[in-house]
Amino acid sequence: MIEGTQEYSLNMGPQHPSTHGVFRMVVHLDGEVVTNVEPKIGYLHRGLEKMAESRTYTQFIPYTDRLDYLAGPHNSLGYVQAVEKLMDIEVPERAEYLRVIFAELGRIASHLFMIASGSLDISGWTPWSYCVRDRERILDFFEMTAGNRMTPNYFRIGGVSHDVPDEFMPALESFLEDMPEMIEEYYGIFLGNEIAQSRMKSVGILPKELAENLLITGANLRASGVQYDVR
Amino acid sequence: MSDNFAAVGLLLAFAVVLPIVVMAIVHLLAPHKPHKEKLIDLCGMDLEDHLEVVYQLSSLRGPQRLRIVARVERENPVINSVTQLWKGSDFLEREAFDMFGLQFRGHPNLKRIYMWDDFEGYPMRKDYVIESHEQRAVMRVRKEGE
Repeated sequence: MIEGTQEYSLNMGPQHPSTHGVFRMVVHLDGEVVTNVEPKIGYLHRGLEKMAESRTYTQFIPYTDRLDYLAGPHNSLGYVQAVEKLMDIEVPERAEYLRVIFAELGRIASHLFMIASGSLDISGWTPWSYCVRDRERILDFFEMTAGNRMTPNYFRIGGVSHDVPDEFMPALESFLEDMPEMIEEYYGIFLGNEIAQSRMKSVGILPKELAENLLITGANLRASGVQYDVR
Repeated sequence: MSDNFAAVGLLLAFAVVLPIVVMAIVHLLAPHKPHKEKLIDLCGMDLEDHLEVVYQLSSLRGPQRLRIVARVERENPVINSVTQLWKGSDFLEREAFDMFGLQFRGHPNLKRIYMWDDFEGYPMRKDYVIESHEQRAVMRVRKEGE
């Protein structure tokens, strides 16, 4: 006969199938109830700021792609724009447009992967393959222009490394034409799916006051009911 | 104050000499709801002769930003913690402590966050010198009998 439970702590990770990356948690349990979690992050901390100290400004651009490998162009863009601001460099108009196109493609690719892995986390394999299929087309744009698929290293201080190839624009136009249909497809297969809805609705709610106090940003903050948008 | 004050568009920037007044400024700007002024980032900076703590704030009441720079001594880098105001600044202050050795007075759990507990030194300080990448990336030589 069980006469009560004893609190104990359990180590989870750093390698664990449920985590997307190397991450360790010390979980304090009372029976099957988690009472406290101590996250141990830092397994992927590379000290990029320190690396930057021994690199020139141009040499550091490839590192910035890797800050967010799902949307490579974004952090590159922020970095080169900061250097240009300090050096007072004006960027050619065409390069500005190309940068915006690349940053937006990176954003769409990142969102698609968010939907894909989000569905995979609740065991939805089909939306995963649909989203990754369409993300693949964006990665092809990066590949045909810059050579790299996920970390294009395309931006330079004062512009971009080179112009886009001739086949880029027609391919982009056909991608944009297909886009509304794709989004409809995701709605049908994932967001409109009854199983997906029942697994996500009313689960893991973060109260508004707590979300503000914990400095949550972006979509997670808006999900808590705070009207906040950096734009 | 006029020398330390610069307004660029919607971004306000303050340079603070006394570290304790960070919370006072936030309370002054938003007396009723200080937590509506959202801390976006908190980071340390090493300027060789002194250290700085930079607070980047954004507002939930409209598109406005505020930057507070607090200056701390290099030998005695102590500053008041802002965890009473924002719970979420816990990890940010731990990072600044881990990388720059900044001591946040009143922090509930000031431990290293990225580096392991018995790591010595503060790696992001300018006087923490590491060997160059080329020197560190030498191939390991096989020992006799291995």
